[in-house]
Amino acid sequence: MNSIKLKLFLLMSAIAGANIFFAILTYSGFAEFREQRRQLELSRDLTQRLIQSENQFAGAINIHKEIRNYIPLLHPPRRSEELEKLLMAAQKGRVSETRERHQVLVKNEFEFQRHTRDQLSYLEDKTVYFGLLCIFSLLVGLVLLQIYINTAVLRPLRDLARKMNDFLHDRYTYQFSVPGSDELGRMQATFNALAQRVISNMEQLRTLDQAKSDFLSIASHELRTPLTSIKGSISLMRSGIVGTINEMADNLLNIAEQETDRLIRLINDILDLAKIEAQRASPQPEWSSMNSLVTISLQSLKGLADQAEVKLLAEAMPPLEVNMDRDRIQQVLTNLLSNAIKFSPKGGCVIVHCEINNQHQLVIEVRDQGRGIDPQDQEAIFEKFRQATSANNPLVKGTGLGLAIAKALVEQHGGDIGVRSFPGEGSTFYFTLPEWRYSSIKNLEAAA
Amino acid sequence: MNRPMRVLLAEDDPNISIIARLSLEKIAGYEVTVVTDGEQALNEALTQNYDLILLDEMMPKMNGLRVSQEYRMRCAAPKPIIFLSAKSQDSDVREFAAHGTGHIAKPFDPTLLPQQIRELLEEPA
Repeated sequence: MNSIKLKLFLLMSAIAGANIFFAILTYSGFAEFREQRRQLELSRDLTQRLIQSENQFAGAINIHKEIRNYIPLLHPPRRSEELEKLLMAAQKGRVSETRERHQVLVKNEFEFQRHTRDQLSYLEDKTVYFGLLCIFSLLVGLVLLQIYINTAVLRPLRDLARKMNDFLHDRYTYQFSVPGSDELGRMQATFNALAQRVISNMEQLRTLDQAKSDFLSIASHELRTPLTSIKGSISLMRSGIVGTINEMADNLLNIAEQETDRLIRLINDILDLAKIEAQRASPQPEWSSMNSLVTISLQSLKGLADQAEVKLLAEAMPPLEVNMDRDRIQQVLTNLLSNAIKFSPKGGCVIVHCEINNQHQLVIEVRDQGRGIDPQDQEAIFEKFRQATSANNPLVKGTGLGLAIAKALVEQHGGDIGVRSFPGEGSTFYFTLPEWRYSSIKNLEAAA
Repeated sequence: MNRPMRVLLAEDDPNISIIARLSLEKIAGYEVTVVTDGEQALNEALTQNYDLILLDEMMPKMNGLRVSQEYRMRCAAPKPIIFLSAKSQDSDVREFAAHGTGHIAKPFDPTLLPQQIRELLEEPA
């Protein structure tokens, strides 16, 4: 009973019914009007002929045969009877009766004409009236139809579309309303169920995300605590404060300490990568000077470079600002630089170079003079736990996660990371940052 | 030199407290008291006169940040607080800086611990 289809059908039927009803009334009025008008014309004709027949033959009435043709046409039947009687009297030659009937008939016909003229004007009014009602009822029906479609179909549809749009744009302020029992109500109910599922899935995701965060935080604590003890014990033993140890034991402790350090680095890298991949640590970009970031990164790695006897250089670059999460981009640059240092020969040189490419992106390059990377390894090195190792390229100490982390961080900033390298000619690692600008003089003054 | 510096070390992991204590006593020559949970740490800090408080962040009963908050609220002349923590996210580090003098990341190197503490104490607050 509540279906829109049924309601539409009923409404349309009512409109059509009212219309047909008034149309029939209009038509019947018009048909009667036409009939009466014909009778009026007939009557006028007849009277004219009767009067003519009287005038032509004064005294003796000569009724023309044609008048007989009127008999079946006249209405109401009383008039036909009168005419028939007149004709009968004329035929039989009853002069006085003929004259009398003739007079009565003419008089009656005039009377009929007068009455029919009134009737005609009444019928005309009636036809116009019902015709107008017919048009009016159609208009009212259409307006009602429009209003019904608006309230029962279009408004709920618009409402639903708005809610769907809200969902599409991550606005989950959805008010659940009790849906009606019509077709759109069922659609609304289906959407409600969908929305409920989406919302509960989102909550589930949030719970999972929270669980992941908790796991990361617990894992980092639980893994670091025993490592703190192990590393602390070894380093206190080696420091000699608990008594001297022999050289062999010291060598073994040295190995234990180095491997512990490696384990710590590995755990740090894994946790970093997990955090980045969980998008939990979403970047907080702000405009910040690239020049100072390069300087600071070079400074922080100076110790490592001196140890490896590698020179670190930055080529001159214009003052630039980048919309970036400073700590993260520094980590990217540090990872690339420490790789470059690790793979450089003694006395080699690592160069940082910045330029704007033809896609209007800032490119930061780190060039080394190492032995280069085989073409087949150039993609793999950005994957987790992949280092390009071969007979002439022994494993260099590292976790194999530095480039994976750098890649994840650069991609968070909407940039790309890659390498150009030929075996024997060194490697150039580069990454791009799309949001950069020249430092304005004002900013420079503020910085100074 | 005056009397040795008195340090309160709140750390729930016994191994780490042994190592830290060894480092602080043998290398730096401090006088170290060890407690193993947050409530004890707060009690000790409020009742005894220590020159420095080292707080583990994750402790039973009360975490390091809460101990620090309570201590600073209740103590008229609070002593420097340094957090020892495995948490190393930017947001955590900012929180440590807000609630104490500074933070030393775990795992720490016990041979360098006294020096790290001196550097943190000498930094202008």
